[in-house]
Order: sequence, then structure tokens, then C-alpha cells
Amino acid sequence: MRSSGSPRTTLRRRAVQAAAGVLAAAVATVLTGCASADTNSGSGKAASGHAAFTPVKQKPGSQITVWADSTRLPAVQAYQKSHPDVKMKIVTYDGGADGSTYLQTKVQLFDRTGSGWPDVVFGTPTDVTWASAPTKPGAVPFAAPLDENLVPASTLNNFAKGSLTPCQFNGHTYCLRNDIAQVVLWYNKTLMDRWGYKVPTTWPEYEALGEKVAKEHPGYLVGSVGDTNSQESYFWSSQCPAFDLVKPNTLRVALKDPNCTRMSTLLDKLISAKAVTTQGFFSQGFAKDSGSKVLMANGPSWYGQYLFKSAFHTPAKQMAAAAPLTWPGESTASTGNVGGGVWMVSSHSTNLKASTDLATWLTTSDANQAAAPTYPAYGPAATAWLANPANRDYFATDVSGPFRQAADEVWTGWSNTKFSDATAWSSVVLPALTAGKSLTATLPAWQSAISNEAKADGYQVTNQ
Amino acid sequence: MTLLATRQVTASAPRRGSRPRRWGRGSAGWFFVAGYAVLLLAFGVFPTCYAFYLAFTNSAGQFTGFNQFTKVVRDYRFGPAFSHVLLYLVLWLVTLVVLTVLAAVLLRSRVRPGLSALLRFLYYIPGALAGVASVLVWLFMLDPDVSPVSWLLDRLGLHTFAAVLAPGNLPVIFMLIAFWTGAGGWMVVMYGALNNIPDEVIEAARMDGAGPWRTAWHIQIPMIRQWIAYMTILAFAGGTQLFVEPQLLQTASLGRVSPAWSPNQLAYVYAFQQGDFNGAAAISVFLLALGLICAGLLVARSNMFTLDET
Amino acid sequence: MTPLAPAPRAAARRATPSRAVSALVVGVLLAVLLVFFVLPVVWLLLAPTKTADQIVHDNPLSFGSLHQVGRAWRHLYDFQDHALLVWLRNSAVYSLGSLVLTLLTSVPAGYALALTRFRGRKTLLVITLVTMIMPSATLVLPIFLELNRFHLIGTVWSVILPFSFYPFGVYLVYIYFATSLPRDLLAAARMDGCSQWQLFTRIALPLAKPVIGLVAFFSFVGNWNNFFLPYLVLPNSDQFPIQVGLNQLLTSTPSFNPVAGAGLNITIPELALAIIVAILPVLVLFLFSQRTLVSGMLAGATKE
Repeated sequence: MRSSGSPRTTLRRRAVQAAAGVLAAAVATVLTGCASADTNSGSGKAASGHAAFTPVKQKPGSQITVWADSTRLPAVQAYQKSHPDVKMKIVTYDGGADGSTYLQTKVQLFDRTGSGWPDVVFGTPTDVTWASAPTKPGAVPFAAPLDENLVPASTLNNFAKGSLTPCQFNGHTYCLRNDIAQVVLWYNKTLMDRWGYKVPTTWPEYEALGEKVAKEHPGYLVGSVGDTNSQESYFWSSQCPAFDLVKPNTLRVALKDPNCTRMSTLLDKLISAKAVTTQGFFSQGFAKDSGSKVLMANGPSWYGQYLFKSAFHTPAKQMAAAAPLTWPGESTASTGNVGGGVWMVSSHSTNLKASTDLATWLTTSDANQAAAPTYPAYGPAATAWLANPANRDYFATDVSGPFRQAADEVWTGWSNTKFSDATAWSSVVLPALTAGKSLTATLPAWQSAISNEAKADGYQVTNQ
Repeated sequence: MTLLATRQVTASAPRRGSRPRRWGRGSAGWFFVAGYAVLLLAFGVFPTCYAFYLAFTNSAGQFTGFNQFTKVVRDYRFGPAFSHVLLYLVLWLVTLVVLTVLAAVLLRSRVRPGLSALLRFLYYIPGALAGVASVLVWLFMLDPDVSPVSWLLDRLGLHTFAAVLAPGNLPVIFMLIAFWTGAGGWMVVMYGALNNIPDEVIEAARMDGAGPWRTAWHIQIPMIRQWIAYMTILAFAGGTQLFVEPQLLQTASLGRVSPAWSPNQLAYVYAFQQGDFNGAAAISVFLLALGLICAGLLVARSNMFTLDET
Repeated sequence: MTPLAPAPRAAARRATPSRAVSALVVGVLLAVLLVFFVLPVVWLLLAPTKTADQIVHDNPLSFGSLHQVGRAWRHLYDFQDHALLVWLRNSAVYSLGSLVLTLLTSVPAGYALALTRFRGRKTLLVITLVTMIMPSATLVLPIFLELNRFHLIGTVWSVILPFSFYPFGVYLVYIYFATSLPRDLLAAARMDGCSQWQLFTRIALPLAKPVIGLVAFFSFVGNWNNFFLPYLVLPNSDQFPIQVGLNQLLTSTPSFNPVAGAGLNITIPELALAIIVAILPVLVLFLFSQRTLVSGMLAGATKE
């Protein structure tokens, strides 16, 4: 193995020479003056004034590709069934849940290959922030402006007030809202009645009841903070300025605000009393272990069908919804909003007619929305949804009052940012909670995680 | 996987020192290497140069000096990503070296040859699951709901999947996965290296009254030192590139793992979410440099690769 | 080689209790390693025989029924119109396509590096060595940037061509020819008037079968299991190889993503079955070429 020494030294000398050459070149170029690393940086910053939308050449009757999450899959399949003449290809993906950036990274790639875009996609409001702008200079924004000759204004006007706000950029509407997810107070009426508890209407009452439950019926829960979206149920409802876009490019992240700490101290008390769990409702094994132990849950309207009925298998006529809780001194409540998906149509679609028709059918038709697992954003469909016996009969009381009220009370200070509000919560706060830290003690870490993310996405951040 | 064979073949590298004959004036040689040379230029040399070019410019193609590097180093995710990987590397290298060498010594001198061969084969099998499959398998192994060792997880105070995925545990998890798929192969290699030590040497030690442990410590391990160093360097270089494992865990943990846990993931986020290819290139230049240094070290300093030079 | 080699008598007598202890330590350590390496594989093989419910509630190492394997397979098969088969086919195309290119380029190259002289040979060897030792993941992002520059993203070639670049294969062939080709044979053939081309095809190639097998094995296994590059350059589910497909399966199924995957019947048994199917070709190669491979791998390391 030990061959003669000289070739080896030659080799080494050669390598050293090469390295020196590279270094010298690097140093030489450094001295010649530099441009800023960030000239470009904003892939979509200068996106505002793009010219009117010009569709690509249309091929009537061509196949459309649909990306949906598995929850929305049956709806898309139902459309296919009732419209057998439309050629469709259906692909399931994660739907942008839990802060996933799958759709964004794929569209980045499609923009580079110049083909392959899905025609219709289900996504989150966060997805619209980048889809309404080009991913690189010269690219066409992925989402088609639906208000330009695609969806009639009369249809758009029928969406619940404010529900299309996350879709609107530069005066155009880039998506159709599938559902709204206003936060209400869910409770198990059967158990509440049996134990003689009164349904709380304010947060202090909720806290007091939680502590009572912990003492009298240990093991039963009045809520969970362990899901990737729990912050929207609690901190949004508390009007905590965590994602407050004060100007289009300035984000206020002020978690020392009393509106945040009042919620964190309340939850900390209930967590240490074991009335609120740090395990997520949607974590693996929760339904099996504790699904029947949920007495109350401050959560979105879709908890009813989706969580209690499908996941927990809670029997019918037990669950009921109450209007959002108020804080002392408030006359009307403010509440949160958990998700609420959107449908976007690709601006690259060669069959805009079929694509738009599908997106419209999915969001507005009674045929689909009346039986949807979530509360429709489209006004007439919401009425049909509430009237649907399947939705009515499952609940112990009529939920339409609380639902309608909550839909109007969603706090507008929690903005739709270019990054998901779930990432910092689930990668910083949840592990800390699992490790036994208190929520209040974790607020500073959460604040800096959000601020860092915001800065990386080009926002000015203020923590005051 | 590939590394395995490196070893094996390098071991059989030419000892005779006979020189290839000189035929023709080289045109034939070029004819034979042409196809490979094109691929080498296209997918080895050019991408490296292009990454350097991108790292020193901005998207408008203007020269930026080291500004891209300062930008990514100042990124709040840069420090954590590298320190995560550093921690993982320490764990992984220590475990790898200690257990692999120990197991090889035991398999070589304390176990019947038939059993030894069987054990080596069984240790080696998980290598077939390298990549995505191994991560998925370990997701199941670490989920207290389905794990066959849930009692062990319980004992460690890990009652839920979320508790298993606590940030402090991640380096250990990645170490387990890496060890599971990679260590068996290295054990086979170390075994082979030990096998190469002449019987007389061991016999002489025994005559001097050295027990098996002392023989291992004073004779066997020093004699395979070079192989151990080689394994360590390759494992180090490979470890800096961590991507698949944290990427999949991020998906499976519902976002409890940061999307930029490792440097390669950070480069991915730069390229695919921020659309900043120059920043991504700057990060990959850091990683390239690490890989180049390791490779250069091995080629120049060790006797592992014999190039029968004239 | 006896299991516990007889030590000199004096030493043996002195050390009897400690020998028992050390034998115990040896046994325990090897057994723990055995469990560590084998248990996950056993669990994986048993998982598809059970329903998701059984996996959670039954003994983790119990056997369910073959019938359930069939059910799991049907669910898996139905996922997105047999996407699984498409992914497997893609994997085969990418791995085999690049395998052919690898062999076509690396065998002549290794031959020429070992047995001919030409300008730049040494440089080529050094670069080959360095790229071979560098972890392959290092070059993935730069290759992506390059492919993007030349608008090759999303094509079959964006995977096959980078996969075909296999410096390690060249090195294997180089070492093989440098050490194992009887030079007298070549010299004699040359006397007989063989051209370079004839030398290569008539003499070198027939002798190179073992090393070709080795290169083919490592190239195939490496490419079949590769995730990073196809994950970056292939945006479309139709083009995914099975490894990226597994990731897709993971993100859109309820076993780890209860919210996103609710309603699909791809649960733990289906996912486990998908893993098995995905690694099957490689596993089979491992099992059948085990003897040759291990002996081949140790050919150099064992005593002559």
C-alpha cells in the first residue's frame, strides 16, 4: 500500500496550488467592490401593479388536475360523479395543514419548469399570500384573479362578510373561501346537565368551571392547547396582538400585551389543574385515550362534525355550541378563527371554464356545502348547511345562533401573513409545553420566533 | 453503503507497484474516458463552480463579495442549524466508533466463526432500508402507541409521540437512525480489517500473557487505527449533510420539528420558499467546503487511496 | 479459530471468574445489538398482517392474518389510481436507466485510467477520488441550481443524468483492472496485433464481470434509495420515484397526519406495506448477493 513517496507529494502540491488559486481569485474579486446581497430578495415584493390577467390559450374540454386534502377529497369525487363529462385527475396532498409549505415549494418548481401546475387547489389563506404574487421576477402569479371574468360579482358578494378578505390582494380576489371556522364554545350538554353545571359566558366563568371540574371530576377536560392551531382558538379569541399587520409591511408582535398574558395565565392555571391538556385533540392516541373525556372545548365550528362526530365518535344529541366567551368589561365578544380553507384556480390552466366551475361548485353549491364537514363561507350555502338535518340532528341544541353570532365576531387584528402562524407555535411553544414549561414563561420565546420568521419574510417587526 | 466497498477495494489496491504499460499517445485513453469525463464535468465540476458563482453574486448577477455569506450567517436559523448538526455528529461519531470497533473485535475473537458470520449479516440487513424507509420505520419505533418497545419509552418518561420528539431528543433520534442503517456495514468492514492482522501477531501477544481485552486494546485496535480514522471522516462528512431524516420528521411531527433544523434544510428553505437561490448557494458552499476538506484530507493524508503513479 | 481461544494455562486459572463475567458482557452486548438491528425489521414485516387497531392494541410482535395483507394491499393499490405502481415503475426507470449509463461510462473509464496513459489522467483520477469521497448530498443543491439554469427541471434526464455520474464505480473498475488483469495476457494480445478497442472488448471486458456486478449493485441500490435529488427536481406526483412517493404517502395519510389525512384508509398497515414494497428490490438484492458481496467486500481485507 505504501507506494513511493514522490507521486503523493506531487499530488498534494497540486491540490495546494489549486486551492491557493481559488483563494487568490476570491480575494481579488472581493477587492473590486460589491453589490448588495439583497438586490433581488423579494421574489414577490414588486408584484403589485401587474397587468390585467391574460389567460393562456384555452383548450375546451381538456383534463383538469385537482389537488385536495383528504377531507375535501369526497367533495371533489362527488363533483366528478355529477359531472362525468369533465375530465379530471385528483391528487391528494396535505392541504397546507400544520404550516406545511408543500404547495408553495411545488409551485416554485412548476414556475421553473414552465408546466405541471394543478388547475384547482385546496389550500390555506397563508397560501394565497404567495400565490397572488409571482414566485420569481417575470413569473405569472399562480392564482388566477377570479373577479376578472371568471366568477360573477353576484356570487362573490354572497360570501359571508369578511370571509374573502384573505383572498384579496391588490384589489383582486384570488380565491374562493371554502369554509369559515369561527371559534365557539363547545360543550357536552349531557354531562353538563348531569353534573348541574351552567354553561359559562365569560372567560372567568370558564376558568372557575374548569377548576371545579378538575376537582369534582378529575380526568375530564375543558380544552386542549396541544394542537398546531390551538393558538387560534385561544390567543386569537383573546385579541392578542401576535400577528398584527399594522401596515402592509409592518408586523406587530407584542406578546407582552395584557391581552396575551390574560389568556396565558388563565390557561396555565387550568393546565396545572389538569383541566386543560397539552396533548393535542388531533394527536395520535388522544381520541382513543381521552376522546370521551372532553367536557368543553373552545374551538372552531368544524369541531362538531369533524372532531366530536368523526374522531371522538361522541354519540348524537350530546354536543352543543355556545356563543364566544367575553372578557370582563366587554359588551360583545371577539373570537378566533381556525383555518377555513380556500380554493384557488391556476392562472396557467388551459381549461379555466371547467376549473372555475369546479371551484365555484365546491364552495357555493348546496349539493356540496350543505353536507360539508365544515361551516360554509358562502351565505346561502351556510343557510342550507344549518338546515340540513344531518347537521341539525347531531347536536343537542340548535347551533345556528351561536354559529351566526360567532361568524360576525371574528377579531380582525390577527392578520394573514406570508408565513403560517402555526410554525412558531408548534415548533417552539408546543415542545416547551410538553416539557412542562408554563405558557406565560414561553411567550418571549414565541414572540422572538414569530419575529424572526417575519423578518426572514421581509416584514418590519415591532414588539411594542 | 458505497463506502463499504471503497474499503474493501482499497484494501486490495495494488501492492505490486507494477506500472501500466504505455500504449499509444493517449488518444485511446481519451476515447475511453470521454463519456465519464463529460458526466464528471457536468455533475461534479460545473455544479461546484456554479454554486460558488451564485454564492458570490445576487439574483441580478452582480458581484456581491462575501455579502451572501454574511447574510446567511446572520440568519437566525443558521447558528441553530449548524449547532444541531454538530451535536448530532458528536453523538453519532462517538457511538459509531465505540460500538462498531467493539462489536468487530468481539465478532472477530470471541464468537464462533459461523455465528459471527450470521450476526454480521443480521447487523448489516437494515442497510437495505437506507433513506426514507428507515425514517418511517423509526417513526413507528418511537411512537409509544405502536412501538414494540413502548415499555422502554415509558420507562424513559416518554408517554406520547410529542414527548419523544422534544427538541433535545432529536439528535439522539437521528443518531439511532444513522446507526441502524449504517453501523452494520462498518462492522463488516472493521471485521475484515481485523481479519487482516496476521495470526502470529495475536499469538505473540497471547504468549506474553495478554488477555483478550488487552490484546484488543493494545494490538488489534491500534492496527486498524487507519480504518477507524477513515470511517470517522466519512461518517462526519456524511453527517453534515443531514436532510431526509429531519425533513420527514418535520412532516410526521405536525410541525414540531423546525423546518430548518439542519443546514441542508435551511438551504432548501432558501431556495424553495424564499426563492433566494444565491443564499441557498452560499449555504451549500459551506457544506461543499466541509465535504471537500474531508475528501482532501483523506486523499492527501492517508494511505487509503493508492494511485499507482509512475 | 476457536470461540474462546485457549490462553496459556496460568493466565486461564487466574482469570476464571473474570472470564465468565467477560463472556457474559460479550453475550449481552451482541444480543442487545442483535435486538436493536433486527427488531424493527421484524415489526415491519408483521405490521401489514394486522389492522391499524390491532397494531395499537395487540402484542406488537403478534401475527395477524394474511387476509389482512391483501386488504392493506388493495387500499394501497387504490391510493390515487395505483400511484404506487407508477412510483415503482419510475424508480425502476431511473435506477436502471442510470445504471446502464453508469456502466457504459465507468467501465471504459476505469479501464483507461488503469491501463492507458493520457494527458490529464492524474487530474482526472484526483477529481474522481475527491468527488467520490464527498457525500453525494453535497452536490445535490448545486446540481439542482445547475439544472434549473438549463431548464432541465422536471424531466426524466434531470434524475437519470446526475445519477449516472458515479465516480465510485470508476474507482472500483480502475482498482480492479490495475490489480487483477494479468499484464502478460495484455502484452501477448498486443503482440498478436489487437487494437486498443479489441483489447478492451475481447480481453478486459470478459474478465471484468465481477467488478461490473459490484458497480451495478452499488449504483442500483444507491439510486433506488435516493430521495434528495428527485425530491428537489421532480415536482409532479406522476414522476416521483417510490422514495419520494413514500413521503407523499406519509403527508397525505392519517397515521402521522390525523388532520390532513382523515378519511383515507391508508393507515399504519398500509404504510408499513408500502415501505416493504419500496425496499423489496434492494432487500432481495441484499439477500441473494449476500455471499458474493460480503466475500467480495472482504476480498482485499482477508489474509492471502
